[in-house]
Amino acid sequence: MALLEEPIKEVRTLKNYINGEWVESKGEVVDVVNPARYETIARVPISTGEEMGAAVEAAKEAFQDWRRTPPVARARYLFRLKELLEENFEEVSRIQTQEHGKTIDESRGETRRGIENVEVACGIPTLMQGYYSEDIAHGIDEWVIPTPLGVFGIIGPFNFPFMIPLWSAPYAVATGNCVIVKPSPEVPNSQMRLAELVEEAGFPPGVWNVVNGEKAVVGHMLEHPDVKGIAFVGRTSTARDVICRKCGETGKRYIAQASAKNFMTIMPDCDVDRTVAAMMTSFFGNTGQRCLSAANAVIVGEDDAFYKSFVDKVIAQISSIRIGYGLDESVQMGPVRDIEKKARIIGYIESGIQQGAKLLLDGRGDFQIAGDYPDTCFLGPTVFENVTPDMKIGSEEIFGPVMSIMRVKDLDEAIEIANANAFGNGNSIFTTSGKSAREYQYNVTSGNVGINIGIVAPMAFFPFSGMKDSFYGVLHTQGREAVRFFTESKVVIQRWF
Amino acid sequence: MILHTASEGITFAKKLENDSAEFYESLAGQNAKDAETFLSFAKENKKNIVQVERAYYGVITDAIEGCFAFNIDPDKYALKTAVKDGAAYADMLSQAVEIEKTIIKFYTDAAEQSKSLMADVPRAFTIIARKRGSRLEKLGAL
Repeated sequence: MALLEEPIKEVRTLKNYINGEWVESKGEVVDVVNPARYETIARVPISTGEEMGAAVEAAKEAFQDWRRTPPVARARYLFRLKELLEENFEEVSRIQTQEHGKTIDESRGETRRGIENVEVACGIPTLMQGYYSEDIAHGIDEWVIPTPLGVFGIIGPFNFPFMIPLWSAPYAVATGNCVIVKPSPEVPNSQMRLAELVEEAGFPPGVWNVVNGEKAVVGHMLEHPDVKGIAFVGRTSTARDVICRKCGETGKRYIAQASAKNFMTIMPDCDVDRTVAAMMTSFFGNTGQRCLSAANAVIVGEDDAFYKSFVDKVIAQISSIRIGYGLDESVQMGPVRDIEKKARIIGYIESGIQQGAKLLLDGRGDFQIAGDYPDTCFLGPTVFENVTPDMKIGSEEIFGPVMSIMRVKDLDEAIEIANANAFGNGNSIFTTSGKSAREYQYNVTSGNVGINIGIVAPMAFFPFSGMKDSFYGVLHTQGREAVRFFTESKVVIQRWF
Repeated sequence: MILHTASEGITFAKKLENDSAEFYESLAGQNAKDAETFLSFAKENKKNIVQVERAYYGVITDAIEGCFAFNIDPDKYALKTAVKDGAAYADMLSQAVEIEKTIIKFYTDAAEQSKSLMADVPRAFTIIARKRGSRLEKLGAL
């Protein structure tokens, strides 16, 4: 199968987008590597705190006019951005595949999800309306006005380089705030292309800024008194120990979406073929590098014949997964993002073996790459059975293509082990029983719950939820909750003498 | 090679539409009497591509099984679109009927395979298969 054309054709050094200008950074520059080819495709600056400071100043300055721009006029910038994203849909998607390694179907899915958030934010004239009570006492009225706060920082992770900043940024600017997006330095290209489209859409300078970098610029963002809030997606350790703590100290509001260990509960009455298909996407889509990927397959019941036949089907299907460069349309699973992540996943596979799980498929060697690519960042799918919740592979986030199969006697036990886990992001059940489904969704402590859905990714008009160590904060990204997060409620009580 | 991903399935559907459009354009060039009908088929094929792409690009997200949507053997749906020199008109019409039947089978099979996995895509496929069914009637009437 021929490769789709790569949009990034030359290695260029990326700039920051500050105050409507493309600005060279003074910071050191690091390589951005295409993990499938293991070739450098760009160089990204690790910007300085001073450069982040300049972006905050620009955003603060822009805020004065932008917040006075009527919501209906702000929405028109977003409508234009939405048009541009549709026009450049394929290019934006291929950039994601080129820089991240995910398949083209996955990248297009990511682009669509991002655009949907822009679409929802276009409804800001109604989404941002306040409410009013006449005569709260005789002759006295009271109302609430959602007002923007100022400058927000948006920190993106490596696994969804294009989409995740769009869970927040469109709502932030639609509500009259200004943003500084800090992409992951591993995958900054799609955010740079997005910023070009933002510029083309005509957003006023300073409303939407992008500053590349890593810890130092995040630290500066967190310390800066003019940054009013942070939307972060990343690991629990950073979410809890850095974002939460620093925002608490500096009085910022925050959304911190974090790690996960998702349990997929499989009832013996499930639709086997559809369930197996859903498992492929859930466990191995995005090469397992997403916070909604299933990690533990919990097979319910003591029927050995069902268990064996189900696992045999799963293994047969997994064994046929085509691995390669995601710009080959036939590829079903790409590489992991980089060598360090691959090594980390292999460490988990080794721990599974050491702790007594039975290895059914070994992703360290049992796979072929479609096409002539180095195996540097590639891994095959791994499947363990006889996994218990206390094993590292059964309890910790692996963030890779590893399926841990567990057996439990009944639904209660399945819910119990899912609830005992530290995380609560995207658990799901596969069943044809409404009773089991209701019991599961009612009792499981998971922010997003799937019923016959393997990837419980909420649409843009629903909040992206999370519980326990998977989420820190109160309000969530996306939809109405994002609008509330990016606005302060100003309450007015009025009487006339 | 079996086609599994949504991207492959959509590309293959587009190929069938484009190849058969070329066939009808060629038929139109050789048969002035029914040229209008054949050209309308070719034009409709282009609309089908838009419909398929709109369905796919409109729903493709990580919540559906994009990389595991199909199990299509493209050899089963190979089209014979080359028109032999000096072929009789009746033979050309028979060839068109075969092409339509093959494409209907593709859309029907692909819709069944991706049912409940690919949201709007199988629905679009089913609608196009139905439209092509009525095309068979038109061909029969020529």
